[in-house]
Parts: sequence; structure tokens; C-alpha cells
Amino acid sequence: MRRLPTMRIVSITEGEMPPFGGSTRAVRTPRVLRVIPGAAERARWLRTFDPVTDFQNSPSDVDELLNEALDGIRAAVSADTAAVLLLDPAAHFLVAAAARGVESEVRQGARVPVGKGFAGRVASGRAPVIIDEVTAESVVNPLLISAGLRTLLGVPLLAGDVLVGVLHVGRLTDRSFGPADTALLEEIASRLALALRTRTTRSEREAAVALQRSLWPEALPAVPGLEFAARYVPAGNGGTSGDWYDVLTAPSGATWVVMGDVAGRGLAAAVAMGRLRSALRAYAIEVSDPVELLDRLDRQLQHFDPGVMATVLCAVLDPLGRVMRLSTAGHPPPVVAVGDGLPPVMMDLPVDRPLGVGRLRPRRATRLALPPGATVCFYTDGLVERRHRPISDGIAALEKSMFGGHAESVCARVMADLVGDEPVDDDVAVLVMRRLPVDESRSLVTRMPAVPASLQPLRQTVRTWLGDLGADRVPAEDLLLAIGEAVTNAVEHAYGPRPGEVVLSLVAEGDLAICTVSDTGRWRSPRGTLRGRGLTLMEALTGTLDVARGDAGTTVRMTRSLREGGR
Amino acid sequence: MTTADVVVTGTDARVRTVAVTGEVDLSNVAGVEDRILDATGNDLLGLVLDLTGVDYLDSTGLKLLFTLAVRLEISQITLELVVAPGSSVQRVLEMTGVGESVPMRTAD
Repeated sequence: MRRLPTMRIVSITEGEMPPFGGSTRAVRTPRVLRVIPGAAERARWLRTFDPVTDFQNSPSDVDELLNEALDGIRAAVSADTAAVLLLDPAAHFLVAAAARGVESEVRQGARVPVGKGFAGRVASGRAPVIIDEVTAESVVNPLLISAGLRTLLGVPLLAGDVLVGVLHVGRLTDRSFGPADTALLEEIASRLALALRTRTTRSEREAAVALQRSLWPEALPAVPGLEFAARYVPAGNGGTSGDWYDVLTAPSGATWVVMGDVAGRGLAAAVAMGRLRSALRAYAIEVSDPVELLDRLDRQLQHFDPGVMATVLCAVLDPLGRVMRLSTAGHPPPVVAVGDGLPPVMMDLPVDRPLGVGRLRPRRATRLALPPGATVCFYTDGLVERRHRPISDGIAALEKSMFGGHAESVCARVMADLVGDEPVDDDVAVLVMRRLPVDESRSLVTRMPAVPASLQPLRQTVRTWLGDLGADRVPAEDLLLAIGEAVTNAVEHAYGPRPGEVVLSLVAEGDLAICTVSDTGRWRSPRGTLRGRGLTLMEALTGTLDVARGDAGTTVRMTRSLREGGR
Repeated sequence: MTTADVVVTGTDARVRTVAVTGEVDLSNVAGVEDRILDATGNDLLGLVLDLTGVDYLDSTGLKLLFTLAVRLEISQITLELVVAPGSSVQRVLEMTGVGESVPMRTAD
């Protein structure tokens, strides 16, 4: 039979009925407790607590702050142990953050569900709880029992109305905590909670900025035949929002261009944005259709991040960069400059519902042909929206500012015209994509690591180059294979296990393509099952093959007409 | 300090034997890799990596072996690992599947 814990009669019992066989008391902090034990006496207690009374001047590091505070608290209420558990961001759990006398709580990462056990009830009731006899029934955390604690007092850490966590103290003796202890601990807790809140807010803001920075692409990928430029300006008030852009190439050779904005600000928005970005990347290598990508992303968001809303514009370019298909989930359509002499306009793109807000009707995709020189400007609403002017004016200003030209120049102009010297009150992200005009793509030098993974993107580069020059089908296929063979040779034979690089240079002189593949390794005679066939093949495909082998490396030069029947 | 030695022991010019002795961990794996690569030119037909004298090999050393195996396969240079029978290195290589992708034999 379970031994019934002894009841303790206290003078102040206003509060809830003890839920566990009378072993605990939930004290509802009656007014009378506030004045007991008298202002003078309380002041004296607080003086004994002086070293850390003014938490606002104490260490800015939360761990240091807590450890210092707990030593003072232990002394102030003559407790053997003291511990702080902080509420996790989702407010489901209390997690041990600092402890004195029960250090294992922190080391073992103790966590208590809100509402369960001793600390959990302090949190859910937002009121002090005293346990006169620690038993397996009265506490859920076995560490408190194994530490030999006999009595416990816990108070909520409340910064105003906001619950930050729980502070509890314990004694190894039967000497119970009284109303005076409760009053003092509550006083300390309210100061500590405010200090914690300040620090948490500050560190969350720093974390949000750091997180968001880490999620922005360090460099946009080099995609043959396309150029990109981007700008991102965080809001002037120091906050961050969930803006993001991404450019990624899929294994199929398709290029995804993404611009998005997670509703909300601060760390929560930055974290949601990070998850959305990772999910999008995962889906982008699986699917080829922007509608399907947005649908999957929507399902993912609604399932794992309910309550989060985001606007996302997804565009996918075919491997040759000629055609773009776009679908937008609540995000403003891009402004495009396509074709000579036509003024830049906001694309006529049906805007479907944002992500995270239920299913209404099927999403739609729109096709946009990209002739050479076509320039597309993606942006977040921070660029066109200002407090003092309607969004339509902002879009008109963007259309006026935008032009078909170098991506960097377009970016610079748009930022100068629409942002200028004004501090922005929302984040501004701009991403400009341009399909290179043919005359700028007649010669091309590309360097790649001498590894098999370089071969597929290399073919993409060569296909795009040949396509832009309008090469006939058979010569294009011949050149593609011949160049592939030359690069494969360098990957297989030039370097041994050491890493190395292959450089491909493509030049068009009239209808003649001049292709050079060079490495800086040591030449060795080809080996393997297709020993030597590569060279034979290259010669047969191009007609002219010149292999220069030297100490500085090997250079293979091939020429071939871009026209059928020509050599 | 973790120390390891890497020496070329074989006499065959086309199939080189490289013996690693000592301990390999994060602190010295880059140096060990460098010295193995120094000994492995692209003119080789094969590389025999003798690990019988290795007393300790952690996951960074395993990564080195995997990377080396992949790279040598591309270059069409064979790789064979030699381990001391019953040694911890043999167990680790078997447990982590290195033995599945790289020929491995125990020293006589």
C-alpha cells in the first residue's frame, strides 16, 4: 500500500486542492502573502541577495546570468538546490537551463511537459507550488528524487504576463518552505524573468539575423547562357523577415528560380523560411513542374508548420534556358523586358493562393518564352510597397526603372530608383535573371573539377552554346560527343587520385567551332576497356584533332563546322 | 599528439605498396592523405595500402579510404587494403562496409 504523505497545515491555503494525495499545495499568491513578512524584512532579504539583485547589470550571457543568480538564490532561501527550467519556444516543455545542487538536471537535458509533475504544474498554474514530501507521485523528474530532496518550492518566472520558465529550490532536510520563502522567491523570480526575457529577445534577434544570413545563397550558380544578380536589404528597424530567393540547377538540367516571403518577422519567420527553403530544394530535384512543386510545398507546410503562411513564386527554365514556366502562390509577378523596343511590363501571371492557407482551386502555370537578351526581375513586396504610396505606383515605378541589359546593371538601377536613400520598413529582395544575347556567347571558357560529376553540367553548357549559335543537329551531336570524350579522358587519366581541373574553351569563328580541352596533369596512355577509342572517336567526329602533351599538361584541340556537310 | 608514418615499401614500380603505421584521426588525417597521394602517381597500375601497423583509425581515416577508393577507381588504378588479422582496424573496416567496396586481405 502506498504510504500516504503527511499533510502540513499552513496558515495560507487559498488556492487549488492538492492534486496528489495531499502531498503538494498550490498557493495562489494571495494578497496577504505579498505583505508578509513585511516590507522592512523583505527589504532585508533582498539585500542579502544583493550580488545579483540587479540582473540588468549582470552578465549578458544567459548561462552565466543563471548560474550567478542560482548561487544567490540558494543562499537567500537557505536551499540546498536551485534550478531554472525555461519554456521551449512552442511552450510544450520546460527544459532545464541551469541548476545548482542538481546539476545532472542540466547535464541530462531534463525536460518536463507543461502541466505534468512539479515544475509542469508551476508553469500551467502560473502560481507557486510547495511540495512538503518529495515522492514519485509528486514529482515526475526522477533526478529530484535521486538527489535526495525532501521539500521543494517552485515559482513561475513571469515577465509581465509572459511565462518564461520555472524557478525551483529544494532542501535535503524536512524543513519546509514557508510563505516568507515563497514571497521572496517570487520577488526574485519576477526580476530574473525580466532579465531573461530581455536577453532572450536580444539573442533571438541576433539568431534570426545569423540564421537568415546563413540561408541566403552565398553565390548564385553559374548557369550557361544565363546571368543572375541579386540584392537583399534587411528592414531598417533591425528586424528580419522571412524573405528568400534561390537559384538552383536540377539534375535534369532545368534551372529553378524562386522568390518567397514567409509572413511574420523575427526568429520564427527565419526558421520557417529555412525549413521551406530546404523542402523546396528537396522537391526541386524530384519534380519538373512549378505547380506540382508548389502543391507539394503547400502540403509540407500545412502538415509540419500549421499556421505559417508564405508567398512563393516558382519559375523553372528548360535545360536550354529558352522557356520559363512560372506559377505564383500569392507572390507578385515579375517585371519582364522581352524583345527589342518593347517597354518592360509586369508579367500577366494569374496569382494563386499563398502556401499554408488551404485548398481552394487548382494552381496555374504560365509559359514565358525567353529570346536572347530577355531580362526578368523578381522581387519581394518590400521593393514596391511603401507606407505612403499605393503598391500600383511602386509597380509602375519598377516597370519604368527596369530595362533589358546586364543583370548587375539592372539590379543596381532598380535599387537606386525604388529604394534610393530611403530606409526601408520591410525587407527588400531583388533577383534579376537575363538570358545572354548570342553575340556575348560566341566564345566561352569554363573550368571544372576533373571528376565524373562535371560531365553532365558540361554537356549542358555545350548544348546551350551550340543552340545559341544555331548549329545544325548532326554537327552539334558530333561536337557534344567529341568534347565529352576529351573531358572524360582528362577526368580518367590526367591526375591519379589527386584532385585536378579541366578547362574547356569554345570559340566560334564564322561557322567553325574551335574546342580546346586542357588539363595540367601528366599524360599517360589511355587504359581500361575502351583503351584508346576515345581519341579515335574524337578524330572521327571532328575531322581535325590535335593533342599536345607536355610537362605542364595535355591540350586537345578540335575543330568542326557548325553546318551540316561542312567540315 | 597523434602520429602516423607513411612509407613506400614495395619494389614493384607499377604496383606500389604504401605502409601506414601509427594512429590516424582528425588531427593528422590530412597529412597522412597527402603522403599517400604523393606516393600514388597516375602512372601506377595499382596501390596496396598496408594498414597492418595502424593502431587506431577513426571515421576521418575511413573517409580518407573511401575517397581514395573512389578516386583511384576513376583513374583505373586498383586498390588493395592489407590489415592485421583480428585487429581493430580490420573490425572497423568490416563494420563500416569498406571491405564491401575495396578488396581487403589480412596480412600473412
